[in-house]
Amino acid sequence: MNLLQRTACSFADSGEQLDPPIAPSVLMVDDAPAVDPPEKGPLGAHRDARELVRLVQCPCCSKPFTSPVTLPCGHSVCRDCLPSPQPRPNISYPNTPDRQLAIACPTPTCAAEHPTGECNIDVTLAKLMELIKAEVAKHNTAVGDNPVLLEEFLNYSSGPVGEKERGNRTAHQRRLHGGRLVSTFVMADMGELHHTSDVVYHPMGEDSEDLDSAVLERLQDVAHRELDCLVCYNMMLDPTTTACGHTFCRRCLTRVMDHSNICPCCRRDLHIPASLQDQPSNERLVKLLNRLCPDLVASRAAALSLEEQPAVDELDVPLFVCTLSLPSMPTFLHIFEPRYRLMMRRCLEGNKQFGMIMYNRSGALQGDLGASSFVEYGTLLEIVNYELLRDGRSFVETRGVSRFKILAHGMLDGYDVGRVERVEDLSLAQEERLEAEERLAAEATAQETRRINPDAQLSAELQVNMLSTQDLLVRTVSFIERMRAHSAPWLSARILHVYGGPPNDPALFPYWFASVLPIAEEEKYLLLKTNRVRERLKMVNNWISRIEGQRWTSGSSCSIL
Amino acid sequence: MSLPKRIIKETERLMADPVPGISAVPHEDNLRYFDVTIEGPSQSPYEKGIFQLELFLPDDYPMTPPKIRFLTKIYHPNIDRLGRICLDVLKSNWSPALQIRTILLSIQALLGAPNPDDPLANDVAQDWKKDEKGAIETARQWTQQYAK
Ligand SMILES: [Zn+2]
Ligand SMILES: [Zn+2]
Ligand SMILES: [Zn+2]
Ligand SMILES: [Zn+2]
Repeated sequence: MNLLQRTACSFADSGEQLDPPIAPSVLMVDDAPAVDPPEKGPLGAHRDARELVRLVQCPCCSKPFTSPVTLPCGHSVCRDCLPSPQPRPNISYPNTPDRQLAIACPTPTCAAEHPTGECNIDVTLAKLMELIKAEVAKHNTAVGDNPVLLEEFLNYSSGPVGEKERGNRTAHQRRLHGGRLVSTFVMADMGELHHTSDVVYHPMGEDSEDLDSAVLERLQDVAHRELDCLVCYNMMLDPTTTACGHTFCRRCLTRVMDHSNICPCCRRDLHIPASLQDQPSNERLVKLLNRLCPDLVASRAAALSLEEQPAVDELDVPLFVCTLSLPSMPTFLHIFEPRYRLMMRRCLEGNKQFGMIMYNRSGALQGDLGASSFVEYGTLLEIVNYELLRDGRSFVETRGVSRFKILAHGMLDGYDVGRVERVEDLSLAQEERLEAEERLAAEATAQETRRINPDAQLSAELQVNMLSTQDLLVRTVSFIERMRAHSAPWLSARILHVYGGPPNDPALFPYWFASVLPIAEEEKYLLLKTNRVRERLKMVNNWISRIEGQRWTSGSSCSIL
Repeated sequence: MSLPKRIIKETERLMADPVPGISAVPHEDNLRYFDVTIEGPSQSPYEKGIFQLELFLPDDYPMTPPKIRFLTKIYHPNIDRLGRICLDVLKSNWSPALQIRTILLSIQALLGAPNPDDPLANDVAQDWKKDEKGAIETARQWTQQYAK
């Protein structure tokens, strides 16, 4: 076989009676090893018979798969096409029996060695092949007509690589029956159709188009039945195969791994990182699904993306019920509950944000939410650092982004989700106006009180209301300085390392102060409801007054603070 | 929250192809909540009994197992007074590849083969081990009395 002969072949194609093979022009290109039509889209039974059969041909023996094994690299070969296992020198961990031997991957694009423990029969693909073979056999014996002459058309690269590929291959010719699809499959099964070869069809009788379509329909039916995921009962989406040979939607498998590290089907250990980050998809099943049921794959993918990204007015904020977080401040989380693992993964794939809310420990009514188990205000957190451990737990470093109020909530796959409204500060103009009004009113009250009784003690609230917002800040800062001078443990280097020093922005300052100050979270929580800087600074000052009062009344400098 | 395809399919299959001696009917207003009846297996002290159970599919089903308990009083070493069932596949041995059908079959099998060595109801298990004949007789009486 050489280039000349190829030319001769495509020349023959121009004959009137002969259907041309797929795009002869492509065949003329020397270094195209195989004709690969676009990756997706439906295949016609008659037109693309060759392409359809290629979907189930082993890259090693070129026959339709027998007992296929899907390797950790995502490629499939017949079990008998695996080279014999070799010992793996210099590997002492984990050193389990199923990992002491390995096979050199026989697929052309993978140079890896795969431990024998990870080379198991692909249960789904094996079953599918059995059914396909049975279906073909039915038509092969039942239909003696629709004869067709198949002429193999070798493809190989040019140059020395091509010389090697070619070896002593010769193109085959066969007169078979049962239409194009069945006859092509039979030719491959006879070992007379290399997986890279193309076929030129010379019809010998009536047109087999209807028959081919009928056969394909049966095969699609079989595929549809067999390629259901055992977890979600939908057609597999992005099928991913475990070392034990069981296949699930990638999403389903990751969800399974949020809960356990064993295969749902056979309960063998799944020695893969829970994220499946580096786990390739089952290449063959992906191709089969894309080519046999493209519409179903598309609608399923669309349904899923809808499910994963709800519309704006939906319950679109995942809610983590755990602790108090504050805007601009860090929160460190150790994620181990399966439902939160799922939530974190979705967050990482999405906008990296989720809501943090506290439990409603006091049982107080939460506005429109009523007697809810969690409080109605929370902080939106953004993931800044994510460390996934091998067992699926993770350490997450987050930073508070903004505050929110929960308007409605529900459950999604075991965790809370909500529709939230952002809680924001009033405009600066309003902030100023309200400060002025408050101070004027307080001043007036104070004067009136003194007028009645010059020795009267002004209430703490009044005293605070008389202060300027700036003074409130100054008081807080000086309190911190005093505490630092006393080496208060809550201002230790360790804590300052985590939360940083006091921020310059007075709007954020209270959040920092609350983060380091050892008082009840329920008190700090009130900051989330505020809509003015002044309001927050007043709260902070009240805490300070109380703490200092305690210190004075206890008469001890050895305060717990 | 719309019902996952899996739950819809499982329900359809339970209706179209029911398991002999077992029925599971979802509530109209909550399709995750099922009224279940299981007939006591023949050759067991629960024979001829009709046991009512409730089954609930939690939000993260099938990642977590269905929640299920007996509503009918039953004398069984692996079922306590609250109707809770000690069955490995409902706990640590749950797998998302299992389903409502297989779980109900397991429960029916548990009625046919009480296991006093892995008890939930300790007092019942002790009776069972001490005086199996007497325990079986009690189970039979309870079945006649409550599982009608
Ligand atoms: Zn490989
Ligand atoms: Zn092979
Ligand atoms: Zn699935
Ligand atoms: Zn498995």
